[in-house]
Amino acid sequence: MALESLHGVERYQHKWNEVQEEAALPEIGNFTNQYQLMMPPLPKAECQVGEYLVDETGRKMKLNYAHGTTTLGFKFKGGAVLAVDSRATSGQYIGSGNVRKIIEISPYLLGTMAGGAADCTYWNRVLAKQCRIYELRNRERISVAAASKLLANMVYQYKGYGLSMGVMVAGWDKKGAGLYYVDSDGNRMPGNVFSVGSGSLYAYGVLDSGYRWDMTDEEAYELGRRAIYHATHRDAYSGGIVRVYHIKEGGWVRISEQDSKDLHYAYAEGKTTTQ
Amino acid sequence: MQSRMVELETRNQDPQGDHGPQERNYILSLHDVLMKKSILNYNGGCVVAMKGKNCVAIACDLRFGVQAQTISTDFKRVFELGPHLYIGLPGLATDTQTVLQRLQFRIKMYEMREGRRLKPHTLMAMMQNLLYERRFGPYFVEPVIAGLDPNTKEPYICALDLIGCACEPADFVVSGTCSESLYGMCETTWQEDMEPEDLFECISQSLVNAFDRDALSGWGAVVHIIEQDKVTTRTLKCRQD
Amino acid sequence: MVEENERPQAGFQFSNFGRNEALVARGFQMPKCRKTGTTIAGIVFKDGVVLGADTRATEGDIVADKNCCKIHYLQPNMYCCGAGTAADLEMTTQMMASQLELHRLNTGRQVPVIAANTMLKQMLFRYQGYVGAALVLGGVDKYGSHIYSIHPHGSTDRLPYTTMGSGSLAAMSVFEARWKPNMELDEAKQLVRDAIAGGVFNDLGSGSNIDLCVITKDGATMTRPYDVANVKGQRVGKYEYKRGVTEVLNTVVRPIEIVSETVKVVSEEDMDTA
Repeated sequence: MALESLHGVERYQHKWNEVQEEAALPEIGNFTNQYQLMMPPLPKAECQVGEYLVDETGRKMKLNYAHGTTTLGFKFKGGAVLAVDSRATSGQYIGSGNVRKIIEISPYLLGTMAGGAADCTYWNRVLAKQCRIYELRNRERISVAAASKLLANMVYQYKGYGLSMGVMVAGWDKKGAGLYYVDSDGNRMPGNVFSVGSGSLYAYGVLDSGYRWDMTDEEAYELGRRAIYHATHRDAYSGGIVRVYHIKEGGWVRISEQDSKDLHYAYAEGKTTTQ
Repeated sequence: MQSRMVELETRNQDPQGDHGPQERNYILSLHDVLMKKSILNYNGGCVVAMKGKNCVAIACDLRFGVQAQTISTDFKRVFELGPHLYIGLPGLATDTQTVLQRLQFRIKMYEMREGRRLKPHTLMAMMQNLLYERRFGPYFVEPVIAGLDPNTKEPYICALDLIGCACEPADFVVSGTCSESLYGMCETTWQEDMEPEDLFECISQSLVNAFDRDALSGWGAVVHIIEQDKVTTRTLKCRQD
Repeated sequence: MVEENERPQAGFQFSNFGRNEALVARGFQMPKCRKTGTTIAGIVFKDGVVLGADTRATEGDIVADKNCCKIHYLQPNMYCCGAGTAADLEMTTQMMASQLELHRLNTGRQVPVIAANTMLKQMLFRYQGYVGAALVLGGVDKYGSHIYSIHPHGSTDRLPYTTMGSGSLAAMSVFEARWKPNMELDEAKQLVRDAIAGGVFNDLGSGSNIDLCVITKDGATMTRPYDVANVKGQRVGKYEYKRGVTEVLNTVVRPIEIVSETVKVVSEEDMDTA
């Protein structure tokens, strides 16, 4: 066909047909198999999804969505604390000020969101399903190590395809509190203190100066809250509500959700704790 | 040959065409919306000015940042140039300061030479000259002028683009990183003949609600209400994130 | 030294050029400046010329000014419509108006339209199209009525009817269908109004009102606006903030005290321009 030779899509035509046939099959596609994302009909080497899209002026478009976030998590004597902000941005525009960036995977497991919001919610939801299936099959709860590895393996399948996520998986299992960092590059590592997102440097500053293993619960909440507050103040792409969760033996507990504006003026008055 | 040249020119006058030395993109794409990396947005900040009944208001935010990082929350970008004359210079902070200093020099020279106060309209013309002089290597500021005419006491507002095209509307002018949001706020809240107190609420709420949707401006605001007998300057309590 | 730098020098200053190019090389887009994505038009009729323009100025996809004036004064017998970069148009026409006035004072007679045309094209050609001004020049002199279209690179055409700007095609279609020689004034005004309205309604870069300028041997009349093509609806409700809702951290009131006031009555005497 003349049009084909003009835009040069011809050599992939057979692949298009394959894909369309595949899409017609009911068991293929992410509705039934969540690991199966629709891919452009190109060889992987040419399928740099992150660069593939082109805007109407012909420039390559980077699918580099809003990275603006501050999330943190740390383990201590009393379990683990997760704290996050709630701002969602597209470019400099603030799309939302009350996003939930802590995803409740199960009563014993939490995940945090940083990077592409859709990537994070989607894969955390798939993880939630897998964790529940594990529980039903094995009659025991999944360990944090196993859950985080499931997630890491899932996103590793799509390495190089342009997923963007930096996730902390935290929970409680037989070994006590667990905290893992997983990202779309394929990293997965356990640790005591993590912070992810554009405001993470500011959060680390507060966290490292105030962190001790033998903190009381209250001290731990306040440390997490304060670290997120300072990050929202300095980082343009973090802000909104500061949410704090505590993971302990009985599962996770939501500790507080406070507007960073109220926190700012409370801290300015010299209050050391805002509870 | 002649006809080909003309054809090129007709493309040139098209707003979607390329105009002059800078590659400019006039179709706003998703890329532009998400990845707007303009030097005007490097430090963040915004200014708005409004006309009221026998008064004008000018307001700005207080953030000085370097892209995502907030360096200072005490950076004023509205400056007093006379008893009833204010200018806001949002844009690249280094140019805010340079342009202000150059302008102050020219104003002093003018007032010494002429022996009279500068009118807001004259300031606009001075600003036009200062900016258009650098048509092909501009300062990255988009000034906003607000004041009362020293003789007639008429309210005056105007906004210039970075190469000195002035626009003097009857209602309000906006400039800076959240100008789109500011347009929306001002279009809905501005009314004719507002008293100074109402003008203050209107400009403050427009500014604060607009920059609360913008990551690169905010962190406090200063509002000047300029009346014949007094200037009231208020600092607003704002979100600090 | 300071004054040396600050004393206005002739021509453009390029001291920021290197810095700005370096920023572009580092991936910062050059900011948009205000443009008039315009519909402008001019025709010759029986007794003179009619110039028309819309009143929208844009900055990217934002309407920066809903009622700007695109018909610029050059001489009492000569006006000029502009399309392109707004600052270039403003400054070019201002500069040309002063040059023409000096020319008039030097020669002691009315400046012919062709002189303005030549001066404009010489200036624009010198700047190689970098001064982005597309003009429709119209005027009446002792040689008759003239419409010139002047392109940014400096080429010009003398035409009985012409259009410019992003809405020029819409406007030209109206002229092609309806323009004829020796039109009456009312007919000519209606034709230009319809041509500009064609741009206002069919071109996104043009909008708001329609301005007209009629020039005959007796002088020029600007009608601004001639027609409001888009009448804004009446808003029913009001968005008002109650006094005191804005949280204020501190207030400083500075009274402006008038120490003395002198009122000098100026006699009705013409300025001495000798």
